[in-house]
Amino acid sequence: MISIQKKILILTTVVLFIMSVIWIGLTIYNHQTQQQYNKILQRYLSINEVTSASQHVITDLNNYMLMPSAKNLDSLNQSKEEIQTAKRGVYALRNVENNFTLTNYLNLIDSLIETSNRLLLFYSEKDTEASVKEFSEAMRISSYISEMSLTLIDTDLKSYDRFYRGIIEQSGEVMKLGIWLLLLITFLLLLVTYRMSLSITKPVFKLTQAANELSKGRFDLQINVGTNDEIAFLARTFDRMRININNLILEIKQKAQLERELQQNKLLLQESQFRSLQSQINPHFLFNTLNTLSKKAYLEGSEETSDLLVNVAGLLRYNLKRIDRSVTLVEEVEVLRKYMDIQKARFTDRLLFFMEVDESCLHVKIPALTLQPIIENAVIHAIEPQPDGGVIWIRIIDGNEQIRIEIEDNGVGMAEDTIKQILEEKFIQTEGHSTGIGFSNVVKRLRFFYDYVNVIDIVSKEGHGTKVIINIPRKSEKAC
Amino acid sequence: MRKTSILILSLIFIILCYLTFISAKKVFRSDWQLPQAIDHRQEQHRLVLITQDMETPFWDKVGKGARKQAKKDGISLEVWGIYGNNQEDFLKKIEIAIHSKVDGIIIQGLDTAEFKELTRIKASFYGIPIITVANDVPMKESLRRTYVGSDQYLAGKMIAQQLLTDVGSEGTAVLMYDSHQVYYQTERLRGIQTVLKDYPNVKIINAETTDTREQIMAATRDVLNRTPNVNAFIVVNANAAGAMAQEIRKRYQAEHYHLYTFDDGPESLTLLKQGRLDAMIEQSPEKMGEISVELIGEWLSGDTVPLNIDGYFTDIKIVKAEDAL
Repeated sequence: MISIQKKILILTTVVLFIMSVIWIGLTIYNHQTQQQYNKILQRYLSINEVTSASQHVITDLNNYMLMPSAKNLDSLNQSKEEIQTAKRGVYALRNVENNFTLTNYLNLIDSLIETSNRLLLFYSEKDTEASVKEFSEAMRISSYISEMSLTLIDTDLKSYDRFYRGIIEQSGEVMKLGIWLLLLITFLLLLVTYRMSLSITKPVFKLTQAANELSKGRFDLQINVGTNDEIAFLARTFDRMRININNLILEIKQKAQLERELQQNKLLLQESQFRSLQSQINPHFLFNTLNTLSKKAYLEGSEETSDLLVNVAGLLRYNLKRIDRSVTLVEEVEVLRKYMDIQKARFTDRLLFFMEVDESCLHVKIPALTLQPIIENAVIHAIEPQPDGGVIWIRIIDGNEQIRIEIEDNGVGMAEDTIKQILEEKFIQTEGHSTGIGFSNVVKRLRFFYDYVNVIDIVSKEGHGTKVIINIPRKSEKAC
Repeated sequence: MRKTSILILSLIFIILCYLTFISAKKVFRSDWQLPQAIDHRQEQHRLVLITQDMETPFWDKVGKGARKQAKKDGISLEVWGIYGNNQEDFLKKIEIAIHSKVDGIIIQGLDTAEFKELTRIKASFYGIPIITVANDVPMKESLRRTYVGSDQYLAGKMIAQQLLTDVGSEGTAVLMYDSHQVYYQTERLRGIQTVLKDYPNVKIINAETTDTREQIMAATRDVLNRTPNVNAFIVVNANAAGAMAQEIRKRYQAEHYHLYTFDDGPESLTLLKQGRLDAMIEQSPEKMGEISVELIGEWLSGDTVPLNIDGYFTDIKIVKAEDAL
C-alpha cells in the first residue's frame, strides 16, 4: 500500500535530490570557472609584478645613487629580492607559445640584476661615469622588461583568445542551461503533481459519488476505487458498510413480511373461533331435538325424513367440532356424503352426484371443512340457478407425487376475474353458506396448512362448468 | 483527445530534454586548446633573426629558411624585425636580444656606428655570436663571426654585365645608392664600377638617395632633369626601386629606360612581374636563412670553430623581365 504521505514524501525527496544535484553541479562549475579566472588573473598579475618590481629597482637605484645611505641600500636589496620572487612567479607561466619570449624575459630580469650589481660595484669604486652608464642601461632594461611584459600579455591574450571566448560563450550558455533546466523541471513537476493530485482526488470523488448514491438509498452499487492508498481503505470500509446495511434492510423486510402473515393468520383463527362459538349456542338441545324429530319421523313411517334429520345432525356436529383442527380425508369424504344426501333430498332429480374415491388416499390429513364449502359453492352456482339441474363429480385420484382432488360441475362457470380474485384470496362472499365458510377462506387455509401456493387451482369456462383441483403433496402424510 | 495531449506532452518533454542536454554539453565541455605548459626550461639553443624589413618577400624567405633549419636542428628561433627602416627600433631589438642572453643573433647588417658599437662591444661582452645575413658589415668593424649571403661584389658585376648586354658599350647609366655608404652597397658599386671602367663610353652618373620616398623621387627627378638622355638606371639600394619606378612612370608613359635592381627591396619582385624592371639580381634568401642557422648551430656546438671570416656565399642569378613573366 503506497500511502499518500509516502507519495508526497517521495515527490519531495526526488525534487530535493534534483535540486541538490543541480546545485552541486553549478557549484562545481562555478568553482572551476573561478579557478580558471584566478589562473588567468594570476598570470597577468605575476607579469605585472615583474614590471613593477623592476621599476622599484630602478627607483631604489636612483635613490641610492642620489643618497647612498644604508637605508636606501636596504630598500634596494629588498626590491632585488622582490624582483627575484616575481621572477619565480613567472617561471610557471611557461608554455609552448611563449617559451622563447619567457626565457628572454627571465634573462632580461637577470640582466637587470647583473647591471644593477655592476652599477653598485662601479659606484663603490667611485667610478661615476661607468655607474651612470650602467644606470642608463638598467633603465633601458627596465623599459624593455615593461615592453616585454606587454608582449607576453599580448601573446597570452592571443594564445588564450579562444579560451577566453569560450569562457564568455559558456557563461552565456550557463544562463540558457538554467532556463532550459528550469523549464524542464517545472514541466516535470507540474506533470507529476497533476498526476499525484489526480490520484488523490479521483478516489475521493468516487467515494463522494458513492456516498451520494447511498444517501439516495441505492445500496446495490459496488464502490470500487482503483488505487492502493488510504482512500482505497476508506472505500473498502465504506463498501463493507454498504453491504451490511443492505443485508440488514433485507432482513428487516423479511421479518416484516413474516409478521404480516402471522397477523393475518391470527385474524382468520379468531374469525373461525367466533363463528364456532356462535354456532355452539346449544348444540345438545339441537342434536336432541333433531334426534327426537328423526325418531318421530321414523315412528310415523317417514323413514326418509328420519335419515335426512340424522344426516343434518351429523353434519352439524362435524361442523361444530372440527373447524380448527385437521382431519383425515376419510372423515371429510363422510361429511361430504351426508351433505350430498341432504342436497339430493332437496333437489331430487335435478342433482346428479358422482363420486370416484381411491381408497388408498383417504388417510391423508386435510384441514376440516375444506371440501364441503367447495361442493356447496358448486351446488349454489351450478344446480340452483338451472331449472334442469346439473351434475357434480368428485374424484380423489392417487397421483405419484401428490393426491389430486377434483370437484367438477357443469354449471354456468366462473368469470376469469372471479377466479383470479379467489386465488388471490380477495373474493368477497355475497351469498351465504351453510357453514359460514367462504371459498377464499378455504384457499387461505389450504395454503397455510400445506405451505404451498399451488395447492388449489380453478379451471373454468363461462357456460361450461367449473373444475376445482386440489393437489395435496404426499410428503404432508408424514409431516402432519 | 487524451492521446493527443499525451503525445504533445511527450513531445514537449523530449524537446526540453534535448535542449537541456545540448546546453549542458556546451557548458561542461572543456576541449579548449590551451597552449601546452612547459614546466622547466628546455636546454635548447635560442637564436634570434633580426631584420630591418619585415614582411617583404625577400626577408620572409630568409625567415622561412631559417625556421626550417632551426626546426631540423632542434633550435628555437624567433624572427624579430621592424617595419620601414626604423633604425632606432632595430637597434633596440638587438639590445633586447643581447640582454635576453640569446645564444646567437643572426642579423641583417646595418652599416652604422651604433650597430657596430652594439655588436662589437655589447654582444662580445655577453659572449653572444653574431652572424650577418644578406647585408654584411665588415668583420673588423662589427666583430661578426661570419657572413651568410650573396657576394655583393659579384652581384654588382653581374648586373653591370647585364646592363652592357642591354644597352651596349655606349650610353649613360645612373647608379642610385644610399647616401650612407652602406657596406653592401659599396661592394655592389665596386663590382659595377669594376666592369664598367673597361667601357669608357658608358657614362656613369652617381645619384645619392636617402631613406624617404619623397627624397628618392626628388633625386630621380633631379637626375632626369640634369641628364635627360639617360639609358639605364641601376638601383643599388633595392628599397628605392619602387619609388623610382613610380617617378619615372610619371614622366614617361612608354618604357624609356632600362631599369635594374636587386631582389632585397620590398617592391622588386612586383616591379619585375609588371615588366617595369628589365632585370633583377635574384639571391637565395631561403638558403641564407638555412645556412646561417646551420652555421651558428655548428659554432655553438663547437663543430666548426672558427667560422670562415670571409663569409659563406649563396647563389645569385640574373632574372630578366621576360623570364619572370
